[in-house]
Amino acid sequence: MNSPNQKTLVGSSAEFENTLRLIARLSPPEGLEERVQARLRAKADMAPGKTRILRWPEAQWIQNLARAAAAAAIVAVVVGGGWGVLSRFQPSQPSNAITVPPHGGGQGGFSSAGAMRTPQTLNGPVVAHPATATPEADKAAIKKPVRHGKPTAAKKAVAQSVVPSAK
Amino acid sequence: MSAGQAVFSGWMEIADKAMHEEARRRAEEAIVEALVSEYAGTLYRVAYSVLRNAADAEDAVQEAFVRVLRHRDTLAEVRDQRVWLIRIVWNVVLDRKRRMKTRPETDDVAELARVLPATGLSAEERVAAAQHHAHVLACVEKLPAKERQVLMLSAFEELNSVEIAEVLGITESSVRSRLFRARNLMAGLLDHPRSLP
Repeated sequence: MNSPNQKTLVGSSAEFENTLRLIARLSPPEGLEERVQARLRAKADMAPGKTRILRWPEAQWIQNLARAAAAAAIVAVVVGGGWGVLSRFQPSQPSNAITVPPHGGGQGGFSSAGAMRTPQTLNGPVVAHPATATPEADKAAIKKPVRHGKPTAAKKAVAQSVVPSAK
Repeated sequence: MSAGQAVFSGWMEIADKAMHEEARRRAEEAIVEALVSEYAGTLYRVAYSVLRNAADAEDAVQEAFVRVLRHRDTLAEVRDQRVWLIRIVWNVVLDRKRRMKTRPETDDVAELARVLPATGLSAEERVAAAQHHAHVLACVEKLPAKERQVLMLSAFEELNSVEIAEVLGITESSVRSRLFRARNLMAGLLDHPRSLP
């Protein structure tokens, strides 16, 4: 193991190498093997799977059955829940007609007593006309438009008769 | 085939498989037990050379064999079980050494005086020898990690340079060059103890 170069150092290194060799030759303590064996046995006993020497064959198909039952239960819960939700909240068809619930269908309820529902309508516009005496007067009123210019002589006469003189 | 027959044959098949697994497990445990009987001493010395404490070294050996037990499925693929085991315990002790605080030299002296053979030595000579060994080990501790590891493993007669290379995961030439440097550094340290930080 020693190379020629190293052999030159053997003399000087013998002193410290003796110490290392002394330690390397130490005898192990009494009962070391037994203690190690005992600890290994304890470890082996604690190892998982050690106690399962025989596995009952029933256990396998019981396990499979339990798995299948659990899977079926999960499927039932999921499908049943979905069905319940769908049956309660069905999507409504879009339509313009408003469905009116029937009135008093069941026994013991209130009936409409034959009353008919009438829709409320808006009142039309009301025009106030002055009462006219005769159609002729109307025609004259139409034919003689009001003039805002100089008063005529007749109008003047009428006005003078109405207004008393200041004199 | 009836349902009863199917259940019976399934039972037998599972029972055979379980028995086979149990037999295989027992065989692996027997191999590990044989490894303990053969190599526990070697692993202890390797562990002690690094940790320099009997209780810590024994713990390290036990931990190494627990690791072996955990990976017993791979035992058949191991080419050289001795080197493989030394490599495992080497990694264990390096992990522990990293976590441990540096031991004071006085502890080393007391421990070495207790464990090193001292036949034909007086009590004073024994203490002096322990002090000398502790001083040498303190110098070894001052070496760079790569050189120190090679030097410590080279002290084991049961390991050649190829095996040291395998334990450390390096090439054989690296082992040789590191060992050369380690010896030079140690000579310098022993002559001038403060030559390395």
